[in-house]
Amino acid sequence: MKKILFILLSFLLFTSSVAVKPDAAEEANAKIKAIYIYNFTKYIEWPDNYKEGNFVIGFLGSNFPLLTKLSEMAETKKVGSQTIQIKNITSVDNADRFNIIYILTDNSTQLSEVISKVKGKSTLIVTDKPGLAKQGSGINFVIVENKQKIELNKSNIEKYKLKIASTLVNMALPVN
Amino acid sequence: MKKLTIIRTFILGLLLLTAVVANAQQEKVQAAYAFLEKNKLDSAKANIDAAVIHLETINDAQAWLVRGYVYKAIYSTREKGNKRSPARLEGLYSYKKSLSLDSGKEYFTDNIGGVKYFANTFHNDAAESLDPIDYRTAIELFNKSQECAKIVDPSPASLQANQTEFDFALVSVYNGVLENDTKDSALVFKFFTLAKNIYNKILAIDPNNIQANIGMGKLYYNQAVNNIKLSDYVDITVIDDLQEVTRKLGIEAEPFMKTAYTLDPKREDAIIGLTGIYYILNDQTKYNIFKQKLEDIKKPK
Repeated sequence: MKKILFILLSFLLFTSSVAVKPDAAEEANAKIKAIYIYNFTKYIEWPDNYKEGNFVIGFLGSNFPLLTKLSEMAETKKVGSQTIQIKNITSVDNADRFNIIYILTDNSTQLSEVISKVKGKSTLIVTDKPGLAKQGSGINFVIVENKQKIELNKSNIEKYKLKIASTLVNMALPVN
Repeated sequence: MKKLTIIRTFILGLLLLTAVVANAQQEKVQAAYAFLEKNKLDSAKANIDAAVIHLETINDAQAWLVRGYVYKAIYSTREKGNKRSPARLEGLYSYKKSLSLDSGKEYFTDNIGGVKYFANTFHNDAAESLDPIDYRTAIELFNKSQECAKIVDPSPASLQANQTEFDFALVSVYNGVLENDTKDSALVFKFFTLAKNIYNKILAIDPNNIQANIGMGKLYYNQAVNNIKLSDYVDITVIDDLQEVTRKLGIEAEPFMKTAYTLDPKREDAIIGLTGIYYILNDQTKYNIFKQKLEDIKKPK
């Protein structure tokens, strides 16, 4: 019989390694923070003069995944009729009229500067380092049992003429 | 006396007829082979099919071998590319039948050659069917290939090596579906479960298989991440539930990736995997340790 030349295909050619994307974990954790921040816009009420124009979220520090997720949120969500605007704050001197200022971990030392800058205004200060809710921020991100949680200092929020819904208070860790 | 002569004549006639018919059946086998040589496959098929159902040649190993040849030729000239080729199944059946009848192993080498040929065609068709739509066909064809391979080389080690190689190829098809970041939860559940079952199967045989440990770790890790990445902007009252699902998936991922890392501490994808797992678990201390290890192994020596 005639011999037939046969090339056996290797299954290894069809095996591709699934990538572990380390950046994906950063994206996921950033998304959780974006979800929290979006919820702050739902459960906190700003005075009428802060309900005009854009709803401005200032971002103090550098975190590309977080900036990306907040920008995605701004593109798809609104606060009432207000368009969400994400602004990267390069200098605290420029922290004029913000609905929220989010101070990232590496910029935590600038908390006192921000507090003095927003005095008399209606800005929610959000921080990301243990202990900062006691040092003047309204809401502080903390890790508890492998999860992202928030500490809420009611008096630090209300002194900026902001009203907090009880749902948000109940979901947060209290700060005395 | 006259009556006895008639009976004798009848019996002799019957014996002669039987011999003639038997010879006719052998002639059909020979004719089938001759037609095959001339590539007249329809005639070869008609002759050999008639021969193997006749009582005289139904248990003839040579007749079944020739039938294997004929159907192999029909497959290779007319049905190659047809993953459900009837000729291939008939050919394989014929070689197997011949092997079972060939007690003296007179045709063993030829039969094994035929089975091996079909094993290879099933194998290649299985490989070509490895995609998210045809994967069931791939499994079916691979099982046929293994059925043939078992006849050619029944050693368990060889069969297991084939099976593991195929399983890794198959699981990469499932992972490919999951990597598309689909929000179709039923589809994700289906392919996640299929992939998990394959890794479990490999790890049940070889718990120290590094590739399978990394694969399982990645499977859970990627689901942990996608659970949040692909979620909507849920209400604050359910953020904790969302994170809990991710936490559990991350905790499932860790031991597999850790096993792979323990078995080979220089394995970069295991270190990357653990870095990602500790990040998603918000375990800053362990994340920093593995981030440092990653930087160390990436440093030029």
